[in-house]
Amino acid sequence: MERSTRKNGLINFLLLLGVSVVAFAVARITNSVAGQVGSIFLGIGMLVAAVSWFQMRLEENERLERLEFDELTRSKGGSSLFESKDTEGFPAQRSREQFERFFVPAFTVWLLLAEAVGAFLLWRWISKNPLLTDLREPTVGITVFALSALGLFLFGKFSATIARLENHRLLRPGASWLLLGAYLCALVALGIVGVELGYGRMDFYVAEILSGLLGLVALETLINLILEIYRPRVKGKVARPLYESRLVGLLGQPEGLIKTAGQALDYQFGFKVSETWFYRFFEKALAWIVLLQVAALFLSTTMVFIDPGEQALLEHFGRPANAILGPGGHLKWPWPIDKVYRYRTEEIQSFIVGSQPDPALTNQNTILWTVTHAKEENFLVANRDQNASAAATNDVEAVKSTPPVSLLTVSIPVEFQITNVLDWAYKNENATNLLQDLATREVVRYLVSADFMDIMSRERGVAADALRSRIQAAADEHQLGAKIIFVGLQDIHPPQKVAGDYEKVVGAAQTKLANILSAQADDIKTNALAAAAATNIVDVAEGDRTRTEISAWAKAALFTNRIPAYAAAPSIYMEREYLQTFGRATANARKYILLTTNTHDVLQFDLQTKIREDLLEDVTITGKK
Amino acid sequence: MKRNSLIVVIGVLLVIVFAFWLCAFQVRTTEVAVVTTFGKPTRSLNDPGLYFKFPPPVQRVYKFDHRIQSSDFENKFREDLTSDGFTLLTSVYVGWRITEPGIFLQRFPGGIPAVEQQLATLVSTPKSAVIGKHPLSDLVSANPGASQFGKIEDEILASVENQLQTNNYGIKIEFLRFRKIGLPEATTDKVFGRMTEERNKLVSAVQYEGESQAKIIRSDADLRASKILSAAQGAALKIQGEGQTEAAKYLGVFEQNPELASFLFRLTALEDSLKDKSTLIFDQQTEPFTLFKGAVTNSPAK
Repeated sequence: MERSTRKNGLINFLLLLGVSVVAFAVARITNSVAGQVGSIFLGIGMLVAAVSWFQMRLEENERLERLEFDELTRSKGGSSLFESKDTEGFPAQRSREQFERFFVPAFTVWLLLAEAVGAFLLWRWISKNPLLTDLREPTVGITVFALSALGLFLFGKFSATIARLENHRLLRPGASWLLLGAYLCALVALGIVGVELGYGRMDFYVAEILSGLLGLVALETLINLILEIYRPRVKGKVARPLYESRLVGLLGQPEGLIKTAGQALDYQFGFKVSETWFYRFFEKALAWIVLLQVAALFLSTTMVFIDPGEQALLEHFGRPANAILGPGGHLKWPWPIDKVYRYRTEEIQSFIVGSQPDPALTNQNTILWTVTHAKEENFLVANRDQNASAAATNDVEAVKSTPPVSLLTVSIPVEFQITNVLDWAYKNENATNLLQDLATREVVRYLVSADFMDIMSRERGVAADALRSRIQAAADEHQLGAKIIFVGLQDIHPPQKVAGDYEKVVGAAQTKLANILSAQADDIKTNALAAAAATNIVDVAEGDRTRTEISAWAKAALFTNRIPAYAAAPSIYMEREYLQTFGRATANARKYILLTTNTHDVLQFDLQTKIREDLLEDVTITGKK
Repeated sequence: MKRNSLIVVIGVLLVIVFAFWLCAFQVRTTEVAVVTTFGKPTRSLNDPGLYFKFPPPVQRVYKFDHRIQSSDFENKFREDLTSDGFTLLTSVYVGWRITEPGIFLQRFPGGIPAVEQQLATLVSTPKSAVIGKHPLSDLVSANPGASQFGKIEDEILASVENQLQTNNYGIKIEFLRFRKIGLPEATTDKVFGRMTEERNKLVSAVQYEGESQAKIIRSDADLRASKILSAAQGAALKIQGEGQTEAAKYLGVFEQNPELASFLFRLTALEDSLKDKSTLIFDQQTEPFTLFKGAVTNSPAK
């Protein structure tokens, strides 16, 4: 029986070796990250199985040596030659003891390093990998890992049962690693299935779980090593192998957990729950229940429910089944015979050509050209002004140095709907991307032939219509099966760097208008005042005329009235008139009268007009308050 | 025992399922496939359906999407020179499909990424060459009739197709289109500078146009005011003249006694002339100062 156990140990080692090599090769071929991590896990298990198998051999040799010694002792009748208990007489025992004393701790330390460094390096490697796995030949991967899981499970169960029945402690570590390896392979296979079902990161998640688990095993090995230092050595008591992981044992044989849970329930309820008919039935039927669930899961693939707004293409062995499935429930052959591909045909989908909205700036209430409100993308636009200017001035050098183009920031939302799901799905590998490329190209093509100012102002509506038509034509040409519903030109403006200069023009226009309005006000004022002045002049003239006429009439009348007086005493009248007039006229004049006539003095008159000095005295000029 | 039998049955079932899985494969309607036997392509499958093969490593299946691939293999801008000396940044995208999967597998064992890399190289040279033959105005022109946009794309496509036909790659290019056209950063800055100057020019034009119009309005207003005033002054002169004419009618009255009239006119003139500040020097001979005669005199010299 011992030989059989040793053979089991060898099988465990060889199986783990084979599976780890095959798993690594298949993982490399299929490009499965989880597979590669799992195969390294299995490799570590293989080392444990190898050491335990070697230790089994040493114990077997020791047992044979002991048997041989007992046989000789019995045949020689207790000769003193065979009574020696010195270990030197038992090389196999000595080898085993030396192995356990030196090699096992050294190997465990090495194992700890391998596990810890492996976990660290694998975690780093996983982090550096792309987020989505590009699997090759996933079928091979799933098959190999699933079959490996099956094989490891069957042999692991067998080995674990033998270890338990015969209480063979050294078979236990290998058996635990076999069973854990089986679950890990199944997990890797499920990860690849997940990727195939569209959960592209599933393989990475499994890889992360495995490397995390390896780290935990390393931690447990470290704790085991520390505890081993303080473990009381009782003679005759067989120690648990230092490299055996309880965590691996627990994960490899989870039924131990169930038993513990059952015992806890028994203790909690005060009676043997684990002996009730339900518990026993559940324990017996667990495998069938799991199988039933798998069968139900498989059968559920014969039904498909298409959501509102969706259409689905049904393929039978990859061929289109000539049926577009609308919203509602449908029956089909189970996966993988029939497969369904869903498309959102009723939904209005959209994308943006040009500047993309900046999520950090979505809270802006006012969108200004001069303030960043999107990730700006500039497009070339023809510039008719520069061409005209260059032609007018013959400024060839100016045109040569700067191309006759302007730049425009454009953000054009394009809304579309899938109208022909067959064309959309089967004509192009990535119809959405192609539609975006086509739309971008049509926008570029339109802008390079459009005038900057036209498209910014009066041609905006025309441009939106033209772009919609052009994108639709391009989509039809490439049989995209999509209808362009809307093309918007709401965010189209000069780049932020020059936007301020464009706003200055608006300011200048306002200044111009203000100047004109001011001049018009002056015009009104000037003309109103001129009209008033003209009226005044005419009125003054009228007054003059009236005065002249009346004065002439009055003077004539006065003269006529004077004639009788003059006629009565001409000389007297004249003298009186003269003296009266002289008095009035000279009343305010400065007069010098020379009364002496018999002198020859020279008289000097200072006729200079002077301001009297006393007028300037005591004059205070006060400031304006 | 019963439990072990169940495990064995499940195991056998799984083995059968996986064996079938390894030996059968589907080709979708969107795919083409190549079956290789020990690495040598032995079967090309262009129709969808269920097929069988020997399990790996004897036979392997390579499936390729035979729909038009329009992946953005040249998303980067590349700088090219136009025939009139302008540098231009362009990026194109290409729609291609696999026509001969067996040849495709041998030419591009790296799959679609390898094709994209190859196409990027294949497209780059003809694109630069074709753009170099055209002036910038063939691509960017305010006159839609002058644009050679589509023609340039066709020229590049023809050049690339020519290369593909010379060396059978197992693929066919369905279309080639420009994705973006741009300018290098230095040129972009110049364009920005020019756009700014254009705006400044426009600002000046608008601003001085306003001032000009304002001046014209004011000048026009002055002219009209001047005309109004002139007309008023003319009218005033006319009125004054009429007044003079009317006044002249009374001159005949003075003919009744010209001597008196002359005397009175002189008196009036005298009175008018002495209205402002005047300094008069009189002697005893002037009336009424004749009254001072003999009143004050110097004694005769002895």
